[in-house]
Amino acid sequence: CHTSGMLTPNGKEYAQKIPREELTHLILKLLQAWKEPLSHFNQHHQELPDDSLSKAKQISNMVHELKTGVEKVTEKARFSINSLNGMTSSEAAGLSISNEANMMSDSDFIHCFRRDSNKVQSYLKILKCRIMPENSC
Amino acid sequence: SEEEIYECPDYRTSGPNSCYFDTNHTTPWTTYNITVMATNAIGSNSSDPQYVDVTSIVQPDAPVNLTLETKTSANTMYLWAKWSPPPLADASSNSHVYHYELQLKPEEKEEWETISVGVQTQYKVIRLQAGVKYVVQVRCMLDLGEWSEWSSERRIWIPNGESPPEKPTIIKCRSPEKETFTCWWKPGSDGGHPTNYTLLYSKEGEEQVYECPDYRTAGPNSCYFDKKHTSFWTIYNITVRATNEMGSNFSDPHYVDVTYIVQPDPPVNVTLELKKPMNRKPYLVLTWSPPPLADVRSGWLTLEYELRLKPEEGEEWETIFVGQQTQYKMFSLNPGKKYIVQIHCKPDHHGSWSEWSSEKYIQIPTDFRVKDMVVWIIVGVLSSLICLIMSWTMVLKGYRMIAFILPPVPGPKIKGIDTHLLETGKSEELLSALGCHGFPPTSDCEELLIEYLEVEDSEDQQLMPSHDSGHPSKNTKIIPKETDSDSGRGSCDSPSLLSEKCRECHTLPSTLQTQDVRDVQENKGGKTSWETQCIASEQKILLFNNETAKSSTWPAAQLPNNQPPVFAYHSTVDAHKITLNTANVNIAPVLVGNEEKRQSQYPITETLHNDMEKQREMENLHSKTDQTTAQVKQNRPNDKSPFLNPKLMDYVEVHKVRQDEQAVLLKHKENSGKTEKYTVPGTSKEYTKVSTVVDHNIIVLMPDSCIQHTSVSQEPAMETSPNLQQGQAEKNMSYCLTAPSECKRETSGSEYMDPSSFMPSFK
Repeated sequence: CHTSGMLTPNGKEYAQKIPREELTHLILKLLQAWKEPLSHFNQHHQELPDDSLSKAKQISNMVHELKTGVEKVTEKARFSINSLNGMTSSEAAGLSISNEANMMSDSDFIHCFRRDSNKVQSYLKILKCRIMPENSC
Repeated sequence: SEEEIYECPDYRTSGPNSCYFDTNHTTPWTTYNITVMATNAIGSNSSDPQYVDVTSIVQPDAPVNLTLETKTSANTMYLWAKWSPPPLADASSNSHVYHYELQLKPEEKEEWETISVGVQTQYKVIRLQAGVKYVVQVRCMLDLGEWSEWSSERRIWIPNGESPPEKPTIIKCRSPEKETFTCWWKPGSDGGHPTNYTLLYSKEGEEQVYECPDYRTAGPNSCYFDKKHTSFWTIYNITVRATNEMGSNFSDPHYVDVTYIVQPDPPVNVTLELKKPMNRKPYLVLTWSPPPLADVRSGWLTLEYELRLKPEEGEEWETIFVGQQTQYKMFSLNPGKKYIVQIHCKPDHHGSWSEWSSEKYIQIPTDFRVKDMVVWIIVGVLSSLICLIMSWTMVLKGYRMIAFILPPVPGPKIKGIDTHLLETGKSEELLSALGCHGFPPTSDCEELLIEYLEVEDSEDQQLMPSHDSGHPSKNTKIIPKETDSDSGRGSCDSPSLLSEKCRECHTLPSTLQTQDVRDVQENKGGKTSWETQCIASEQKILLFNNETAKSSTWPAAQLPNNQPPVFAYHSTVDAHKITLNTANVNIAPVLVGNEEKRQSQYPITETLHNDMEKQREMENLHSKTDQTTAQVKQNRPNDKSPFLNPKLMDYVEVHKVRQDEQAVLLKHKENSGKTEKYTVPGTSKEYTKVSTVVDHNIIVLMPDSCIQHTSVSQEPAMETSPNLQQGQAEKNMSYCLTAPSECKRETSGSEYMDPSSFMPSFK
């Protein structure tokens, strides 16, 4: 996975230990790192059946929305985070060579995306319970 | 004994050149003589007979599912063979007891070793050569019959003491709380020596191979990875190695990412609570807790729950997805029933469902809500009360109520028809009665239509003003009324005299029976006979007294208005007649026609005149002040008499009835002048039938029998008595019934007067 180089907490304790801003920053980086590969995937896989295509598009939209949402949360929580808007996906992923993300095979692509989305989900949940512990935590 | 030859019932089921005998055609303990006949175009040939006893040809199918295992005990290897009996077409024959036989041989050899097993479906073979591959088969037999075929072969290799262990296999790896995980494997055959198992793993992206940190925590043949050794979002490559003295063997590698192998424990603390809100049905609240190990509080692991329930006796579970909440409200359970409920959970993303929690029993309390019961009790009491009341009312006043609800339907009656006639079967009279003119009535007496024929009163002078000067003005008044254009309506009341009641009284057909009158009158205590009404409710109308010259305009009291003069009765005439007694001639009954005269128009007067004498005579006879009698003089054949049919001829005295008495009609012999009193004060009544009604003013009374016989009169009188009876009662009524019974009629056999004959313009 092109995001394998990113240093992310591997377990619950680690995720709970790192400060919230860092965790948020990490989340944003992850989301940013997938923006370009997703659009690239959508562009180059027009041969897929319609429902798969629409699903892929839907997913990339969701990623974008999620990123927007996290940024809003960041503002509200007044985390001081460096903006990531200028970064490319490769930069966000910590890759020096761009376009590496685009060279994955499809199965790897899907596998990596699945994993990273799970990461993001878990981090967000931990973040949620750390920021607002009263909501079903 | 008979020898019947049957043909094969089924050539197909068992294939070509076969004959299948199904259960219906198979009888045990019988011998079948079977031959096959081959026929072609040229000729036929039959086989030798085959004698078959069904029980002796039983051959079951071979046993199935033969499995072989090698086991070691006490340093010796033995082979353990297991199998199943052959499947049967119908499962009902479970009682079959099979005997089995085993045969085995080393693979390369030729000779089989046969072992008799008995009725067991397994067997241990002891004497085996190690390091040899064996082939095993088994067959079976029922009590009588033949052995089945041998089952398919099974081969097994007997390990000798020096073989490396067989490859183990990894069964599964699971993480209960997304923080640790465990892997289990299954060892293979150990090759005769004690075997050690080691688990080795490496992580994705690393070359380093580690060994399982903990073989014990999770039990034998397992490896437990604690928190420190568990990394998420990395793929583990795990293998198990089996080692014994002879060598080692590796299992296939197993790749696992802990994130995806989370299977939590079932939820705990399942509790039920029955809540009873004020205005609603009670409901059940089910609550539970996540498994203790799962760290839901930090959000690291989010669980979703699902519960299932079914009634205790039911078979199918109803599964309800609950989501992430840890409580559930159940509204739609049946009271009084017992339910079983279970819950399980799974991570909200990748992962698998936990086991179901232990069964929880719910007993729904039967909810006899007091409110419902009270309502039902009240309803029941009220309805039973109502039923009681109704039945009581029915019992007490049943008849009246029924009459009230369903009034009796009056029989049809036609004016001018004497039912008596009908009875006696004199059709002529009947027909003549039917031929009356003026029918149907055109006035508004619809209701009387049914019952009466209206006899049209041609103008009429019935109420001829009294000849008598002393005649009360009433009469005079009457007359004009009579001449109302409203012909055909007779009323016995003079408009002036009569009260409204009288107006209602319709002209009575002479022939009507009093019953009719009654009907017309409705219930006026029965007295509403036409007569009475005519008489005007007031008694004054008919006052006969010798002195007073009142003339009752009795029947003369026609209904000047358009009262439904269903009845035509000779009002004036009668009235006049009635007043005869009072020495008034006014009353000359219309009916009483002049014998002498036939004029139609003024029969009254004439008759009056004529009758006066007679009446006087009559008077003598009945001088009851309170009685008025109307003499009906029979008209001599007087065609012109408007009232009277020439044939009519009888006088009938009508006695006014005292209040409490009935009106009595006396029939009076015209000729005889004998006026016999038939009146029975208050008791007997003699009536004559009203034969017809001439005009609307005239009632023609007709005795049933020939008037000439006084004796006869009684009878018919009686018949009509009911009519008159109405007049009785409280009012003084006088009935002026003039029944111009015609002798002629009698002679003719008809007792009825032909109204038409009356009809002639009675001017």
